[in-house]
Amino acid sequence: MQRRIVLDLDLCCGCRSCEAACKAAFKGEARIRHGDIAGAAYLPLACKHCKQPLCLASCPVEAITKDEKTGLVIRSAMVCIGCKSCAFACPFGVIDAPLVRHISQKCSLCADREGGPRCVAACSSGALQWLSDDEIKRHEIGMRMVSKDLFFRRKA
Amino acid sequence: MKNINPKAITIKKALCPFCSYGCEFGVIYDDFGIKGVEYAKDGSSGGRLCPRGSAAAMYLNHPRRLAVPMKDGKPVAWAKMKKDLTKVFGSPKSTAVTFDRNVTPEEYAAIIGFCEKVGIENIASTYFEPESHLEPFLDESFDVSNLQKTQLVVILGDPFNQTPMVSQAIIDWKLKDRKNGLIVIDSLHTHTAGFADQFLRVNVGTEPLLLFALAQKNFEGIDATKVTGIDRAIIKDVSRRIKDSKNSIVFACLSFGHTYDPALCAEGISELEGYGRMKIVPLVEFAGYEGNKGFGSIMEMAKKKKIKYLVNFGELFPFYYPQVAPDLKNLEMYATSTLKHSGYTMVPVPLTLEKEGTVYTSFGKKKLLGGIEPPSGARSIEEIIGPLSGGSGKGKQLSVPDHKLDIKERARRISEATLVKGKGLRLMGEKIAFNFLGFFEEASLKMNPADAMELNIASNDIVKVTSKQGVEHMTVRLTEDVSQGVVTVPAETPGARKLFEYDIDTDLRSVNFIPTEVKICREE
Repeated sequence: MQRRIVLDLDLCCGCRSCEAACKAAFKGEARIRHGDIAGAAYLPLACKHCKQPLCLASCPVEAITKDEKTGLVIRSAMVCIGCKSCAFACPFGVIDAPLVRHISQKCSLCADREGGPRCVAACSSGALQWLSDDEIKRHEIGMRMVSKDLFFRRKA
Repeated sequence: MKNINPKAITIKKALCPFCSYGCEFGVIYDDFGIKGVEYAKDGSSGGRLCPRGSAAAMYLNHPRRLAVPMKDGKPVAWAKMKKDLTKVFGSPKSTAVTFDRNVTPEEYAAIIGFCEKVGIENIASTYFEPESHLEPFLDESFDVSNLQKTQLVVILGDPFNQTPMVSQAIIDWKLKDRKNGLIVIDSLHTHTAGFADQFLRVNVGTEPLLLFALAQKNFEGIDATKVTGIDRAIIKDVSRRIKDSKNSIVFACLSFGHTYDPALCAEGISELEGYGRMKIVPLVEFAGYEGNKGFGSIMEMAKKKKIKYLVNFGELFPFYYPQVAPDLKNLEMYATSTLKHSGYTMVPVPLTLEKEGTVYTSFGKKKLLGGIEPPSGARSIEEIIGPLSGGSGKGKQLSVPDHKLDIKERARRISEATLVKGKGLRLMGEKIAFNFLGFFEEASLKMNPADAMELNIASNDIVKVTSKQGVEHMTVRLTEDVSQGVVTVPAETPGARKLFEYDIDTDLRSVNFIPTEVKICREE
């Protein structure tokens, strides 16, 4: 069963614990970024592991592949030439291409860790969750936000 | 030859040493040493960790980790260090002993006992963070589940950035019931303020006067509305809400360089506690100890050359507060430390999570779990002072003699400071866990777009920030979160901290770091 990182904007307090967990695990290169929506709310941005990834289509050396079983979109550091095509192609802007190591930094959902992504484990407010497709259908993400008109007050 | 098995991973549990929330996590070891941190689901925080906790492995493995004693930037042998310390403690009348954090209650008792034994009379705290004024409110019985009994929470400051672990309980409580009211008081629009249903954006440094006004205590000749910038009707309305609510709670944070008078802030909180029968929850990073005098008195002694040596037990001073160095230039200083810094004589000690014993947290005393090895050259405080005094003694908790605060005079000073506009911009501090020691990100300067336009500065420009204390280059971030005339920097980043001026509290003789006038110009 595929699992995904789900962000409940109701709960995100903007502390960037997720980004810190990622940076600490990957030698200072975060694969989850932090953005703000027109100064109204802050949110972590992680790879969506798209069904039809544009980053994969744009890669000239086939460094990005999709595992059909798990749904993971994986970038091979050995093959990546650091051309930034994937970073430009990504519609969510979640792939970073730092110039230091000349390879793109892409979330692998912490495939090396049994308990799932570190950003989810670290999330101090419980805004990031690690859910299966079935759980996502049942989960009322953002419903509190809509029903209580709370987040539209979160103008910074 | 050692058989290296890459799969041989062990996880040792530890208590996070970087704030007083007391989160547990695992330190992952493989055959090559510390590999990272693991989020312990069975820990007190359910595995959640703020950026400081995630940085623990980076800290333990840091290239600047202090592993041997150092003098004038060069390593020295422990035997030589012991000889020097014997000389220092051999003249107790000329020596001051101070401490900040990274000291367990057992170590504190040993230090005080040692001072009694050798006859050292000048003992002070060097933990200069304004939150130390909130320590009298610490109550071991508080649990975040107490939130369920209230319908009103007042937050002073920005705990969602400063102590992120408390955010889940507050947000869950806020979203549970529409009637639950969250009031945030701050001079900056922070993440915490974004969740408030009523945000009281006060003028810089005037929080204490608003707290007194909310408690219906007014000072003759001071117009709270004019000074704080909060409308009279709003003050009246919030004051009534506080009076009418049962079991209401105040979460209080005080950041470095954020307020002119943290002691008066604590008085204001105390006033509100009595007025609204409110529970006060101080969100402090470190529940500290007191000496028998304020550090301001030690500084005066140093200036008058009444003392010759200063020995600090802890990890922050004097590296974290370089501003005070010129006033201590007459002293020969020794400081225990966990990281290498330039200058001074440094004595390597273990980090709290590498120690055994107990530690104070916001929710009571917790046992340290031990098991994490310190660098081989580090010595525990017991090992440092034990041989010098022929065995360690146990001293009692000290306290600075009580001083009555001149509240009226302090309120008048804040009022004057606010109403007289300075020529430059006012630099304030924000305590942001993500900026912990600059491990994850360099300090950037937040600025109001209107100020930036006037100075011909655009977002992401590099600017030179100059205060009386020093110069620092930073990237600019434009945001209306900060008011016009104000700029902010993360106070967790050492480079940014050095820009702040300090003053000595007139009544308590403690050191306060205050909002500071700065000049900003774009670097070409």
